[in-house]
Amino acid sequence: MRTILKLGKQEHRFIDRISELSGENVYSCYQCGRCSAGCPMAFEMDILPNQLIRLVQLGEEEALIASKTLFICASCFTCQSRCPKGINIANVAEAIRYLAEPKGKDHFGPDEVPAELADELP
Amino acid sequence: MKLHYYPGCTLKEKTTNLDESTYAAMKMLGYELVEPENWTCCGAEFPLNEEKIVGLAAPARILRQVEMEGGDKVVTACAFCFNVLKQTHIALLNDPLKQKRINAYLKDDIRIDPVTKERTTDFPEYRGDVQVLHLLEFIQKEIGYEKVRSLIRRDLGNLRAAPYYGCRLLRPKGETGIDEPDDPSIFEEFLESIGIGVVDFPFKQECCGSYLSVSLPDAASEVSYRILRSAKLNGADMVVLSCPLCYYNLDRRQDRIREKFLEFTGMPVLFFTQILAWALGVEAEILGLDQHFFDPRPVLGITDKAEVAS
Repeated sequence: MRTILKLGKQEHRFIDRISELSGENVYSCYQCGRCSAGCPMAFEMDILPNQLIRLVQLGEEEALIASKTLFICASCFTCQSRCPKGINIANVAEAIRYLAEPKGKDHFGPDEVPAELADELP
Repeated sequence: MKLHYYPGCTLKEKTTNLDESTYAAMKMLGYELVEPENWTCCGAEFPLNEEKIVGLAAPARILRQVEMEGGDKVVTACAFCFNVLKQTHIALLNDPLKQKRINAYLKDDIRIDPVTKERTTDFPEYRGDVQVLHLLEFIQKEIGYEKVRSLIRRDLGNLRAAPYYGCRLLRPKGETGIDEPDDPSIFEEFLESIGIGVVDFPFKQECCGSYLSVSLPDAASEVSYRILRSAKLNGADMVVLSCPLCYYNLDRRQDRIREKFLEFTGMPVLFFTQILAWALGVEAEILGLDQHFFDPRPVLGITDKAEVAS
């Protein structure tokens, strides 16, 4: 049996918006997995960096916004330095966070930093 | 020789040891550091979002100030500030529209002197002529390792240092980094020039956990410990770095790492300017070595008695 993937208007709008915000061409990813292999925080993630890009390609906005990965990415750019297609995944994650914020999904505010850490934290 | 130097907020507030050792080391190398007048925070993080363009205004304003003071380059010792200023410089250089939009903010600046209440307006645009250099780059390109070598006053040949790059000196890959992101050598060359043994270790460009040390402390401890353990296993007496956040995670949070990993006995973590200043013969008292969680003085052979330059 054949499975046909067909993206609707909403999915296309989401992908276009991610491209605008991040400045990245998410379609160029061919799932080699080098990003996830090098990611120092992958052990904490529910969606790996390559899976994050695949979900963007499929327009899976809800699954992306629900993922823990968004706030585990430390923006270290190791994935960007390894990507053979030059995709900056940290920028894509930031674009998703930006879209998640108005939907009530935020993670950590400056007011939540424990006082004993705030004195020393750069 | 005068040189524009942008310290950044953290160096004046929380890691004064990085700022003070930079001043001390550069004085020994023959440079008088000049801070751009009325400098502000650089923003700490370059905006990853194409639409948050206002985040470029603060760093561009700092670069314009250097330009107004007749400078053609600015050096930084903080890896984060370096990254923000350099990325801003590149973004404005490569994108005329961005430059135009940022200059629209900068032209409307009003400065009110806090004492005289004098108002200054009519600021010029940023032309994009300021070169942003990290101090490691400046030492490599402008001072030269030969000169550094000739000024060394203390022999550190019996010590082994692990250079830790972290993220912000090398990435994003492209024009930003001070060296190749996956095979850097500038830090090693610098350490060789000051006569200290160099340890190569596989975690030298791995992320320290960044601000996850606040939101996910356990995960951050784990990645920080990986780095320290790897340096230790490869025979390092100390880890040397340039980033205040890496310093926070790798030194100040060693209490948490020790709670989680009982076999960890601690590791001195120093800023590259501290070890440089020490090698150049600067007295220990002005290097802020007492601010560290893990006291680096014993490994440097500093006792309570004032150390005399050899």
